[in-house]
Amino acid sequence: MSVVLASRPHARRARLTVNGDTVEADIEPRTHLADFVRDDLHLTGTHLGCEHGVCGACTILLDGEPARSCLTFAAACDGADVVTIEGLDDDAVAAELRAAFTREHALQCGFCTPGMLVAARDLVLRLSEPDERRVRLGLSGNLCRCTGYAGIVRAVMAVIADRQARGETAGGHEASRMLGPVGAHCPSVEDVPASLHAVSGPESAAGTKAPPIPVDGTFSPAHRFRQTFTVAFPPEDVFALFGEVEAVAACLPGAFVEHLPAPDRIVGGLRVQLGPIRASFRGQAVIERDEAARTGRILGAGADAGGRSATQGEIRYAVTPDETTGTTSVTLDVGYTLKGPLAQFGRPGLVRDIASRLTSSFAGNLEARLAGAPATRNDVPSGLNPARLLFSLAFDRLMRGWRRLIGRDGPRS
Amino acid sequence: MKPARFALARPRDLETALSLLAEAGEAGKIMAGGQSLGPMLNLRLVEPELVIDIAGIEELRRFGHEGDRLVIGACITHADIEDGRVPDIGDGVLARVASGIAYRAVRNRGTLGGSLAHADPAADWLTTLMALDAMVEVASKAARRRVPLGSFVTGALATALEPGELITALHVPAIAKGARFGFVKHCRKVGEFAHAMSAVVIDPERDRLRAVTGAIDAPPLVIEDAHALLGKTRSSGSVRRFDPGIVDAAFQTAGIEDAVDRHVHATVLRRAIENAWPVMPDRSRRQAA
Repeated sequence: MSVVLASRPHARRARLTVNGDTVEADIEPRTHLADFVRDDLHLTGTHLGCEHGVCGACTILLDGEPARSCLTFAAACDGADVVTIEGLDDDAVAAELRAAFTREHALQCGFCTPGMLVAARDLVLRLSEPDERRVRLGLSGNLCRCTGYAGIVRAVMAVIADRQARGETAGGHEASRMLGPVGAHCPSVEDVPASLHAVSGPESAAGTKAPPIPVDGTFSPAHRFRQTFTVAFPPEDVFALFGEVEAVAACLPGAFVEHLPAPDRIVGGLRVQLGPIRASFRGQAVIERDEAARTGRILGAGADAGGRSATQGEIRYAVTPDETTGTTSVTLDVGYTLKGPLAQFGRPGLVRDIASRLTSSFAGNLEARLAGAPATRNDVPSGLNPARLLFSLAFDRLMRGWRRLIGRDGPRS
Repeated sequence: MKPARFALARPRDLETALSLLAEAGEAGKIMAGGQSLGPMLNLRLVEPELVIDIAGIEELRRFGHEGDRLVIGACITHADIEDGRVPDIGDGVLARVASGIAYRAVRNRGTLGGSLAHADPAADWLTTLMALDAMVEVASKAARRRVPLGSFVTGALATALEPGELITALHVPAIAKGARFGFVKHCRKVGEFAHAMSAVVIDPERDRLRAVTGAIDAPPLVIEDAHALLGKTRSSGSVRRFDPGIVDAAFQTAGIEDAVDRHVHATVLRRAIENAWPVMPDRSRRQAA
């Protein structure tokens, strides 16, 4: 049987073998393999749970090996051999496993079962003896919320033991396989989009206009940390510079000031980068300064484009002379709260790492500026990007150790 | 969630990939196995306009030797190393690390180069290959260069890759004869990102003990001469000398603020040393024999 699906905008043509049938389709690049088999081919036995590689419900066979179909883009599988749970009807090992699952009550609601069977089949083919520890380790990437795994483990071990008793040897099926990611084949022709602009990409950071969200004076931050740095200039000069909002922003990679509606208010934002994550936060901040004590507080709030992630934060700064060296010491006490998708990253330590890199670049720029050099507006040199954080805290903010974001048990490439 | 719309390019060779990357600039993102980028795309934390899929490029799926170094293509997967389709640098060192990464379904697609380019501080390869003193080979349209892994990682999720550059291969030196390797990580659940991780290389011939602690909120911490952690007398292979106080101070200096975190990292480091130590030949006994 051969299926040809209708053409779609921006789609890439790919030809796959799915459960033995040739499927040629125009596939949108962002469609992952699980959605492709479910939505386009109506093979709904593949289940989708977390969609970030943790739960294992979507596990299928790609070139004969288990893979996460939620982390594999269908258009990138041109030339691949795909087998879903429907394709394992006549598979001898899968048949034995189905019988054993039934016998051992290895399923209840059945949601995890298709992925579980694919993972179990792989274990049966790779383990030469029913080693419970290895079976349990092997099933750790497939979450089952009903059974407590007892029946599943018994079922898998029983099938391994039966095969061993019949003299069917495990292992070796993967020895001859091609190197590199399963399912990734060299395209038969150069497969390169004619034009980047054919795609409606995300809005550029500069063009985003999130409405300023109000600053809440009573806010109490979820996370706090402290940064200190030293500047080789007198404290009065440093404190004076801190009073010039635009000068401060110019020293801070990624920060921009749109306007100053009042002497103590700023509307502006911050472009942030953490690894491949880029976000632009826009919002407003309120500034308080105590001339006598040479301290200040910047309280801000902001949101990214579309308002999906929001942040609120404060920086309290103190400028103190360092008598012994004749320099000035600056202490920043940062507190922030993050909401929305980026908050799922929840690794305060990563924020600190970024903040310390930001602080050192900020201190360098500040010093250059005090020395009379125009501060370079470092708009996005890749190494320092993550930086922006600090200010972001002042005003907006975001970011995060994204592992959490992928639930911490996320996979890695 | 589903990814935002992006265009996909699947170049057949490295030169085309590099041209595309140079042209796309910040709008482009390299993808190999997609096991780190995939979740970020699905959660729309990353919204590139162009994804350049390099997984099919033959040149990046090869391995070879250069002197006593193993050269591993960037698109070699964890499972390739786990299964021994790529030679090891000695005694199953790489295979052992590979077999503990995430889950088999992830290892079948996740790549060595992708893991390093992503530079997650809790990634197994980052810590391991820093302990093994590996080098990263990167290429851009203009040039190729090699960067020691220690200076390649500049921060959490941050690397020394310049715009237009991608990782083509890893150069991993063979483990010296008689040297031992220890690797321990701590996860609440098998396969998840580690909360603590240490790799050590002990080379009695050269009297070296190099330790790396990863899974901290910064680039992995390299302790070049970890003998200091063991106190002055370390004879007879005993790890009883492991001094948690010294380690604690080192971690504190490295910015690990939480005392419980420091304790966990120190315990994992001690276990990594213990884990390597028992198989180390006892020098005095060997000399006597």
